[in-house]
Parts: sequence; structure tokens; C-alpha cells
Amino acid sequence: MSTLTDHGDPAAGAALHKAFPAFTREPAVYRGDVTVHVDAGHELDVVRYAKDKLGYELFVDRFGADRGEDAEPRFDVITILYNLKTNRRLHVCLTLPGPDPETPTLIPVFRGANWFEREIYDMYGVRFAGHPDLRRILMHESFTDFPLRREYPVEGRGANQAPRRALGGIQDATDGHVAVNFLPSVPPPAGPHAQAGGQDVPPVGHVRPEGRP
Amino acid sequence: MLDVEIDEDRHSEHMLLNMGPQHPSTHGVLRLILELDGEVVVKAEPVIGYLHRAKEKIGENLSYHQFIPYTDRLDYLAPLANNVAYAVACEKLMGIEAPPRANAIRVICAELARISAHLLGLGAYAMDLGAMTVFLWTFRERESIYTLIERICGARFTTSHTRLGGVARDLPEDFLPLLDAFVKQFPGRCDEYEAMLTRNKIWVKRTRDIGVISVEQALAYGLTGPNLRASGVDYDLRKVHPYIGYENYEFDVPIGSVGDCYDRYLCRVVEMRESARILRQVLETIPGGPVLNRDERVLKSVFPEKEKVLTNMESLIHQFMVATESINAPPGECWFSAENPKGELGFFMRSEGGPSPTRMRIRGPSFANLQILPELLPGHMVADVMAILGSIDFVMGECDR
Repeated sequence: MSTLTDHGDPAAGAALHKAFPAFTREPAVYRGDVTVHVDAGHELDVVRYAKDKLGYELFVDRFGADRGEDAEPRFDVITILYNLKTNRRLHVCLTLPGPDPETPTLIPVFRGANWFEREIYDMYGVRFAGHPDLRRILMHESFTDFPLRREYPVEGRGANQAPRRALGGIQDATDGHVAVNFLPSVPPPAGPHAQAGGQDVPPVGHVRPEGRP
Repeated sequence: MLDVEIDEDRHSEHMLLNMGPQHPSTHGVLRLILELDGEVVVKAEPVIGYLHRAKEKIGENLSYHQFIPYTDRLDYLAPLANNVAYAVACEKLMGIEAPPRANAIRVICAELARISAHLLGLGAYAMDLGAMTVFLWTFRERESIYTLIERICGARFTTSHTRLGGVARDLPEDFLPLLDAFVKQFPGRCDEYEAMLTRNKIWVKRTRDIGVISVEQALAYGLTGPNLRASGVDYDLRKVHPYIGYENYEFDVPIGSVGDCYDRYLCRVVEMRESARILRQVLETIPGGPVLNRDERVLKSVFPEKEKVLTNMESLIHQFMVATESINAPPGECWFSAENPKGELGFFMRSEGGPSPTRMRIRGPSFANLQILPELLPGHMVADVMAILGSIDFVMGECDR
């Protein structure tokens, strides 16, 4: 089934490189996918050329990638375009430096880049100059890290990220008791210590039925 | 679309309407902030991310095989199709091929998933516009499909059926007759849905010329799947880049002409009929043979047969090695996308060698499909928002990942 490895068009990659020889590399081909690497600052022109002159008019995807803390340039922003006439796909890979990664937005060429760039910003901290609404899109606004960076641990960085709801200190109990946040939305059970909202509710985990040691 | 002039002087009269994230017509957890002038939407802002589960991050920390169950939960209305797309993407990265019978089984999986997803999309779409019966009728057929899926892999919903280089297990003996019965019955069922809707005056009035997406808009926003084709763009990955043997089957790709809600409805109904047509051909031509690649070159990377694991020491060690060390992909990066029910589900994997990718990108079609809402909704009545959302047929699992 060789059909999986003829999705790219090396000739289009070569044409793109020929149009911008100074700041693009020779197209890289792997398993038939053609990738043109672009230097920072020139991506917009290259993508516009691919759209207007080479017919890559379907905006398929735009996403980031991280080569690791020690790599320089560290970040990639990969844009995938599709040509509906030749039925071939083109990858444009922009490389950005690790500290302070910033590049012009692609929105003037493809309006659909909007959310994709917000996601790259959200996940990698790459900023897009000229983007009208560069906010986080998947993570919560109060999140401070860029979770798809390679050094960010998969289990997250825990409670320091999102403010925990105060539970009156009872969740700090470390004596093997389980803290259960019982109120306010549970129907109040009958009994002396469970008046909803009452002041006398003992800390959960230390409840002893009356009359027992 | 209504041609209503918006009186800018009365801006202070605009009302903000928060729709979702728990609104029934948002099919999951999409939140829409609508700014209304009377009953007309002047601004719409979708808020997404409520279902974000860091799938890409997880994928970069698991082996290629271990990630398969996570793909079930992307488009959770078509888990089998996600399994297939992911497996083929890994196979492309690694240069493995699945045997013909495995590919035929995958086609069955992908097309059953497509019918099932479109049935839910259609049912919910119609229900949002007040046609309750369609929803109940489509769920009757979805139940038959779930029964079939249960026969294929033992689970109804979280299937995890594919493996790198094939599928988990062969079809049970009684499966093909059951599928045959379903495929014979299904076109008649489609006729029933169409009898309910296609010439239904209310349905047509609520969907025709509502939410028109132009070709230019569709391309700029990266719309794919039925939403793109309804606007008149002939782009179906099963045709332009056939995978898992789609080139062997004859089927048509419906194309719309206007790009309104009605066209999107029609496209999905025809697609279901074409899927049934593909299934009929698979039934006639499904080859015999193994369902997992056992080629010497890739033998090290796939599980040995379970029977041998239980009886043969070397196979047991082999199983242990594969499970713990998994497959090492060659260094490289590649992209594969499959024609899923909602559109183009793309996987980009960058490998630096080793058992897991250093970058796993998942391109969920619903993410792109939803992005057009701020451009599409303004100028429509609030009631049309339901029609447009229903016709876009998104699923938040793959949008938020």
C-alpha cells in the first residue's frame, strides 16, 4: 500500500525553496511528506506564496513542537496546507529560538489560524505578533505554565497551579484520616452534628459518635 | 439569514446570553457567549477547553501501543474510526503494513463508526429543531451498530480495537451474517429518516439558507468532512489518498451546492447510504488470512499470538518485551490524516527513536469546524443557532482533546 507515502509534492517544496532561497531550506522528505523549513520572520511571506502562487489554499493545521530545553532553535511551528487541485499536502516548518519565541500571525492569510495560534500560545508560550485575541484557549486562564513544553511533567505541577478551594484546613489532616467535603450541597442527614451550615460541625475525619470513646 | 439592520446607537440595549456549557444543544460542553440585539445574534464567542484532558501530552509519555485506548475518547461517537486513524498513522511512521484482512476489518469498523456518528448527529440535530421522533429512530439503528461493535471487540463504546500492524482479534464467525442483515435493512431505515425530514416543510424552513458557509470561508477556516463538502468542495481523504484499501471499493462522495444547514443534512444522509454500500462490498470481498502483521521485520514489535504466549516460553518473553519496551519507531516525523465522520482527523508524530514520540499532535476536525461560529452566527436568530450547531455536528472530545 504505497498510497500512504505519496501525499507530498517534492516539486512544490522545491518551487517554494526556489522562490525564497535565502531563508528556506531544501525540502525535507520523510515517508512522502514534504516539509519546507523557514527561518523566523519570513513565514508569512512563504505561506502566502504557497497559497496564492502554488494553490495550497486549504488550511489544515498549525501546531507547535518543542525540541527540548537545550536545543537551539528550540521551537517549531508547523503549518499544514493542502492543494485541492493537485491533491498534495505541504508542511511549512518555522523554527523559533527558545527564549522569547515570537512570530507574526498567519491570520491575514488564513483566518482559521486564529484558534490554532491561541493553542500554540497556550501550550508552548509562543507569541504571535498581530494576533487580535491571544489568550489561552484550552487551559484555564489562571494557569501559568506552558504544559506541552518538554520539561513540564506529564502529571502536572499540582496544586500550585490552580487555587484550591479552602476547606477550612481539614484537608491538611495527615493522620491517616480521609477528608470528605460533605456540605454544603448534601441533603442534611438527621443528627446532632449535621445541621447544615451549623457552627458546631467537628472537623471531618475526627467525628466520634457521642458517647463513644 | 435575516437581513436586519443593527442599530448601533442602541448598543446599550444589547443583551449577553450565556449558552452552555451545559445546554443540551451544545452536545457536550461548548459554551457560547452570544450578544443579542433583540432576537438577533450580533456577536458570538465560543469558549472551549472544558473537556481538555492533555491527550497530546499523554501521547508523548506513553508507548505507541499504550496510547490506543486514549484515541477512543477523542471523537467518542466514533471510537473505532479514531482507532483506525491512529493505527495507520503509527504504521506510516514505522513503515509497517497491515495484512489485507485486517484492512477489510478496519474498513468495516470505520464505516460502522461513520454511520453511528452520523445517526447521532442527525438525531440530535433534528431533536434540537423539535423533531423528537427522528432521534428515537436513529437510536434504534445505533443500537444495532453497538451490538455489532460488541461482537467485533467485546466493548460497545471504548473499543481500542486496532493494533499497530492489524487489529486485536479476528471477527467472530457469526459476525458477517449479522452485518449482512444490518446492511440489507439500513437503506430502508434511511428512507424513513428522509421521509420524516427531507420534504418536511418545517425542517426545510428551519435549515434552508441558514448558516451558509462559502467555499472561501470553508477553506480559510480549515473545515473538513461533510461541512466542507456541503459547501461544494470535493475533498474526501478516502478518495484522494486512499488508505486501508478504500481504493478497492466503489462509492460516491456527496457534494453540496449552497453550504447551508440543509446541504449539510443531505450530505450526511447520503454518506450513510454510501457507507452501507461500502460495507456491502466488504462483505462480498473480505479476504481470509491473518489479522495482524507477522512479517519478520516487524515481528519484534507486535504481540505474539495469545495461544503461543500461554504455551511457549519464547513467546511469553516476547510478549513481555513488547509490553514493557514497546516499539521503537525510527527517527523522523510524519503526518497522517483519515476521513473521520466529523472531518479530517490528523496525527502528526515526531520520533527521535525510542518507544514514544517526542511530539504527538492530534488535529481534531471539530476544533476547526467550531472556529467558524463567530463568523457564521451573527445575523441569525437565536433559534437558528441550534440549527447551525446541529448541522456543524461537532464533538467536544476531539475539539478539546
